[in-house]
Amino acid sequence: MSALGGGEFKIVFTGPMGAGKTSAIAAVSEVTPVATEVANSDLISHTKASTTVGLDFGHITLADGQVVRLYGTPGQARFRFMWEILGRGAAGVIVLLDATQPGALVQMDLFVDAFLPLVPPGAIVIGLGRTTLPGALGSDAFAARLDARGLLVPVFSIDARQPRDVFLLVRTLACILEAQALPEVAA
Amino acid sequence: MSPQRVRRASRELARQPLETLGSVTGVQSAVLFSADGFEIAAHAADSAAARRLAAIGSSLAALGSAISAEAGLHEFERSTIESKDGSVTIMRVEGEQAMSLAVVAGRNALLGQLLWATRQCCQELARLIHQ
Repeated sequence: MSALGGGEFKIVFTGPMGAGKTSAIAAVSEVTPVATEVANSDLISHTKASTTVGLDFGHITLADGQVVRLYGTPGQARFRFMWEILGRGAAGVIVLLDATQPGALVQMDLFVDAFLPLVPPGAIVIGLGRTTLPGALGSDAFAARLDARGLLVPVFSIDARQPRDVFLLVRTLACILEAQALPEVAA
Repeated sequence: MSPQRVRRASRELARQPLETLGSVTGVQSAVLFSADGFEIAAHAADSAAARRLAAIGSSLAALGSAISAEAGLHEFERSTIESKDGSVTIMRVEGEQAMSLAVVAGRNALLGQLLWATRQCCQELARLIHQ
């Protein structure tokens, strides 16, 4: 049995609208993901054609046989009730952000603050998208912001459409969980 | 027409059908909302309550569509959440602009009458908004 204490666990992909949550789950899920996308009528917030209003769901199997259930949240704050529903029982959370968005640092704070009480301590990983585009904030800015808050959270530049990048986030989170589950070694 | 203009126009058109629905025994409030969770028109619900009902209602409608598709059924049409004290019905409004109606009713409502009146209201909304 794994140090995580079971054959399956659940992780949540969250972050603002357009950060790539639905794409990330679709990129790695072994089954056709459940999606609840509808037409986006709020073109001021984001120009994308569709948006998730319920949840995304898929699953993957890690090399050690662990099945990871992947849940994606809606990104808009008016769906915050879904964040709490989906966060219940989660082993960890992956926060996806668009580094070109002017408010990306504040958005990171919003999602980290919303999910910190819902997941085990330290079970958060940040995935930054579009970091190579003009105007994007560097990952250092996000890491410094987390550091200033006393939070030790890994930050990665990723492309949410690339399975390799999404697996990196999931494996990192799995490693954090494994490390937390290990018995402390006496000094 | 932009989504905002559709919402504004629909709000005016929806007033009368929602008032008629509000006169049905047991109906406490009703909110018409877009598929992505914006309130379009409300009857007997303040703006904060309408906003929340619209967001939760759109999630439920989307989950209804997802589970219908999973079961190989046709598109989501209606869902009724029942509790000891009453019910909430979410019903899809047919048409090009994806919308649904949420109706909150007390336990004095007769479910058959409520569902019939809600369907009549949705059909009238579809006719007015999409004509």
